[in-house]
Amino acid sequence: MVDVRGELIKRSLFNDHDIRINEVRSILGFLVKADLPAKSIKDVVDVLFADPIIEIGTCNDEILNDTAIFPTRPDAVISIGFKPGVTDNPGTAAVDGLKILHPDIDEHSAVSTTVTYTFHGLDESVDIEWLAEQLHNPLIERAEAMDTRDIATSFPKLDFPEAPPNEFTIPSIIDLEVSDAELEDISESGILALNLEEMKAIQTHYRDPEIQAARTARGISASAPTDVELECLAQTWSEHCKHKIFSARITHVDRETGEESEIDSLFKTHIMKPTEEMQEEVDWLLSIFHDNSGVIAWNDEWSLCMKVETHNSPSALDPYGGAMTGIVGVNRDILGTGLGARPIANTDIFCFGPPDWQGDLPANLFPPSRVLSGVHAGIRVGGNESGIPTVNGAIVFDDRYIGKPLVYAGTIGIMPRQLPDGRLTHIKTPAEGDMVYMVGGRVGADGIHGATFSSLELTEESPSSAVQIGDPITQKKMLDMILEARDAGLITCITDNGAGGLSSSIGEMAEYTNGCEIDLSKVPLKQSGLSSWEILVSESQERMTVAVKGDDQITFEEMAALHEVEATVVGRFTSNGEFHVKHGEMTVASLPLEFLHDGVPQLRLESEWKAPENEAFIPPGEVDHSEILLELLSRPNIASKETLVRQYDHEVIAQTVVKPFVGKHCDGPGDAGVLAPIHGNTQGFVVSCGLSPRYSDIDAGAMAAAAVDEAVRNAICSGVDPEKMAGCDNYCWPDPIVSDKTPDGKFKLAQLVRANRELERACRGYRVPCISGKDSMKNDYGKGKDKISIPPTLLFSLIGDHPDVRSSITSDFIATGHQLYLLGESKEELGANEVAYMLVETGRADGIGGEVPRLVDIEANLGMYTSLSDAIHSGLISSAHDCSEGGISVALIEMCIGGRQGVSVDIENTGDASIWAKLFGESLARIIVAVAPENIEEFELKTQNHRCTKIGTTTESNNLVISSGNETLVDVDIDIALKAWKSTFCGGEF
Amino acid sequence: MIHVPKVAVLTGFGINCDHETAAVFGMAGAEVERIHVNHLVSGERNLEEFHIMAVPGGFSFGDHLGSGRLLGNRMRFQLREQLTSFVAAGKPIIGICNGFQVLVKTGLLPGNEIPDFEQTASLTLNNSGRYENRWVSLEFNADSHCIWTKGLERMEVPVRHGEGKFVVPDSKILDSMDSDGQLVCRYIDPSSKPGEGMTDETLPFPICPNGSMRNIAGICDPTGLIFGLMPHPEAIYAQWLHPHFRRTKITSVERPTSPFSHIIDDDTEMVEASRTARDRESERVEWEGAGMAIFHNAVSYVREHL
Repeated sequence: MVDVRGELIKRSLFNDHDIRINEVRSILGFLVKADLPAKSIKDVVDVLFADPIIEIGTCNDEILNDTAIFPTRPDAVISIGFKPGVTDNPGTAAVDGLKILHPDIDEHSAVSTTVTYTFHGLDESVDIEWLAEQLHNPLIERAEAMDTRDIATSFPKLDFPEAPPNEFTIPSIIDLEVSDAELEDISESGILALNLEEMKAIQTHYRDPEIQAARTARGISASAPTDVELECLAQTWSEHCKHKIFSARITHVDRETGEESEIDSLFKTHIMKPTEEMQEEVDWLLSIFHDNSGVIAWNDEWSLCMKVETHNSPSALDPYGGAMTGIVGVNRDILGTGLGARPIANTDIFCFGPPDWQGDLPANLFPPSRVLSGVHAGIRVGGNESGIPTVNGAIVFDDRYIGKPLVYAGTIGIMPRQLPDGRLTHIKTPAEGDMVYMVGGRVGADGIHGATFSSLELTEESPSSAVQIGDPITQKKMLDMILEARDAGLITCITDNGAGGLSSSIGEMAEYTNGCEIDLSKVPLKQSGLSSWEILVSESQERMTVAVKGDDQITFEEMAALHEVEATVVGRFTSNGEFHVKHGEMTVASLPLEFLHDGVPQLRLESEWKAPENEAFIPPGEVDHSEILLELLSRPNIASKETLVRQYDHEVIAQTVVKPFVGKHCDGPGDAGVLAPIHGNTQGFVVSCGLSPRYSDIDAGAMAAAAVDEAVRNAICSGVDPEKMAGCDNYCWPDPIVSDKTPDGKFKLAQLVRANRELERACRGYRVPCISGKDSMKNDYGKGKDKISIPPTLLFSLIGDHPDVRSSITSDFIATGHQLYLLGESKEELGANEVAYMLVETGRADGIGGEVPRLVDIEANLGMYTSLSDAIHSGLISSAHDCSEGGISVALIEMCIGGRQGVSVDIENTGDASIWAKLFGESLARIIVAVAPENIEEFELKTQNHRCTKIGTTTESNNLVISSGNETLVDVDIDIALKAWKSTFCGGEF
Repeated sequence: MIHVPKVAVLTGFGINCDHETAAVFGMAGAEVERIHVNHLVSGERNLEEFHIMAVPGGFSFGDHLGSGRLLGNRMRFQLREQLTSFVAAGKPIIGICNGFQVLVKTGLLPGNEIPDFEQTASLTLNNSGRYENRWVSLEFNADSHCIWTKGLERMEVPVRHGEGKFVVPDSKILDSMDSDGQLVCRYIDPSSKPGEGMTDETLPFPICPNGSMRNIAGICDPTGLIFGLMPHPEAIYAQWLHPHFRRTKITSVERPTSPFSHIIDDDTEMVEASRTARDRESERVEWEGAGMAIFHNAVSYVREHL
């Protein structure tokens, strides 16, 4: 029988390192710590650990010398196990299984899992220690490697990973009556990420005589914070939680126009205000900005909500765990929306360094290919095991993401608009006296300081405690239970425990009733001995904070027991304006809610715009455009990612109408996901996204506008109702605050200002309110001249109503003789286009500069999109696809690939631009459609007021032929194009 | 005669496809309850209340220690008596994807006339080493007495699994299963002639997505009442879920807002109650997906035989 695990290792060593090995075999190990009768151990192995049909189970570590099992002696044996304290999901599951067989074993029984690989026919030149490094991440795993070429084979010894006992320390009092330099030192050495002004605001708070009197009455240090309070403030005031840069007062100077202006909060000015104004014009914006995700009314019975998060820093340190906690974390944002929503679809967008990167890597960074495979695996496991389909996404590559990969994880949720007890589901209804439960996983030392850490740049000293691995099954059990409790009317308030842990979740919920009291001694712990502040701020995963009325406690707890979910009362709501934290009888924190939430001083920042200088992109003269097209198709940014995407379950819940890959052989690109979430009902919704980070090299404003247009275009192509679309903005920026390590902070902030202004203009123009969003503002690595900053990146995600999924269409051509049209026009906008980067990287052009694609006449675009939408729902369109990276020629060949259908196209009348711009340029607001002969007349009538150019027809040939007048520019066989398109990521596997 | 069979769709511990599995039985005319495994274990509820049991797809216990094993063990050790009586009463059971893995690990499949709860086959890692979601073509064994697949010839359905390779220790076992009609459906090359798609030679990836022995996709027990398969027939309950529906779609002018007469869905009872049943049988049939036949078969069987 094939040892698939071993085969995978063998294959990846060959693919990544060109190392050939005859055979790799795998042994799954279970270190069991339990009091079992000796005679039942064999039985446990057979019934629980080993599959009787495909595996051999043994308790004998001489297994490697058993020639019946290992006829050839291994040359090396490497065992890998988790480090102490790291989440071991199979281990937890094994304990659960053990308890079924032996219900009486004591509660401290534990199982730790390992995997051992034996290498047979390993070349002598391969260093065994190096080999072990390739197979594990030392931040969370340990490996034991044995060279067994010369010595007798014995099993590598990995001891049970015992975490050292935690030492409970009584909360200390931090004296803040010190010099400014010492205040800064307190912040830095404690990883508090608070600046001097914020430290001084805290100092001032403790000087207030009224505060001191109240604290004396509470029995807590009167004039200085406890470590619990300081940590709680640091979490709540972190950039991650408080979005201080987006709230800052900014002095903006534009050196090009002479503009000088003041902006009082980018968020309020450019995101909140436009959305609130749009809220007055429509009746479907139910809940925006103040909950874990934004909620829209989808129909009379159901509402939808959406949230996208980033998990960049954790993914840089441990790609697998970081990405997995990213996706299961954003699932909890949905579960914590209103009184609880059901997550029903995920989106995943990544930005990585080039997958084939051969250059040097700064210390502590993984090669991009390893980041990619780790992140992909984390997202796959997190989404698949949770039973939530991944329906939309993208992967973008650029050298600068080597320093910090971007991992955007989004989730869409659904909830009934009303509960059986009549309450509106999107409104939380806590009252004074309600009990506060912590539900789900336990609190451990893992995940301490995640929020503050993500507000700092990545350095070699970044803490490993910020890394966690998710546990989707614990979360799934919790999710099932919570939705049942919601429907039973047991929940009055709910929020997730993410960044900042209990300090954030309970601290936020306390605002509803104006106060709460919690007792940390009640919080269930993974390991004893955690100090008060650690319990309060730990970001251990899979936990929700839920408020329940006293009368409902018994029912709620019975429901939790049925689902085998831990639910523990840790506090209750009050109304005295205080966040009161006790540990047993001792008060360890007493913070006025007003100070906790509103006490952070507003940042004052400076922004200065001067357009960056880029050498102009001048395309080479004599070239074969067909070759350029084939080259573009194999670029990582354009190439098919089908192999990766197929590993995500995109159809669970039986609702996905338009899947990520479409067409005759299900391998053409889909523009957007279309889902019909109510079984048997044909109303649906569309999920799409847009991002073009490289446009920031010319103008971050254009980058932002392009992202919005792309998301809208994609949704329109799939049949969205243009009158009901909602957006989600996710900014990932390099640090935009001027400092010694960021001398160009003013420019980076000006990029942020421009991006926000264009986001507002595009959203208002397309009538797409932003219902949710997030920002991640410290995406840099290293210092000085070695510093790597990501290109400013705005991801725009969109959900919209789809009136009837049966009228949705896709990008693949479906028949011969259909007429092709280009909606929109091509302009001379090749700046920062994919083709420019390609030619520069391969030495055929000198620069990427020039005009970048701009969003000009939004009103005209919207009119065109609306007419197209009307034509789609009238059944007039047989295929539609938007033009993005690689322009018209790439869009056309993708449509050909999807349908295995040739076309002949003339681009002469597609715009006032050069051949390069017409073929490969990325001008916005362009969509290619195919129309069957019988629908031409009606289609042309519907689009007569818009820029709509007849460009060709689908043919019986197997070629894409593009000409301009009499000149043939491109003639490419679809099978050859398909090979180029699939070679980068799917190569060698099919 | 039972006109409206009662179906228990198991939930909990990482079962993910319980909502859609419940929905399709509802559309087929059954009364469905999603029921947590622990309700049965505690004895508060009993399988004898039901006529059909479905173990849906998902990732019970995260597939840790092998797919289906931990839930399988719970069923072997905690529901043994209820399952024995259920089978003895001649009631149909289906396991889809992870549910199939669970039934194999409990020993109910391939199984004996009287369940002995001993595992004799397995479902393990795909040869590709990857979890994959892709559409495959199945052909059904016309000689099988499996009550779930009566009258079925071919079907296009999605697979979504990482451990779908069906294996037995000795291929002679497959010979005897074959002669008993237990090899119910197999992955086939869709370009083969109808009725001639099934072959014992392992077909290449991705036609056979996992490397199963003899391309086996689904099997039944000797009675034909217990059926397990890796692909997801519930995922093609409506034609709009087929990846090619728009390439060949029905262009009816009148489009009812909801073509199904029976809608059972997630979340609150209130929403269920407020939704009016729209009885438009002809449209329902027009838009019904191929996978529904399996659920109709079980409902008809109960109506005729129990």
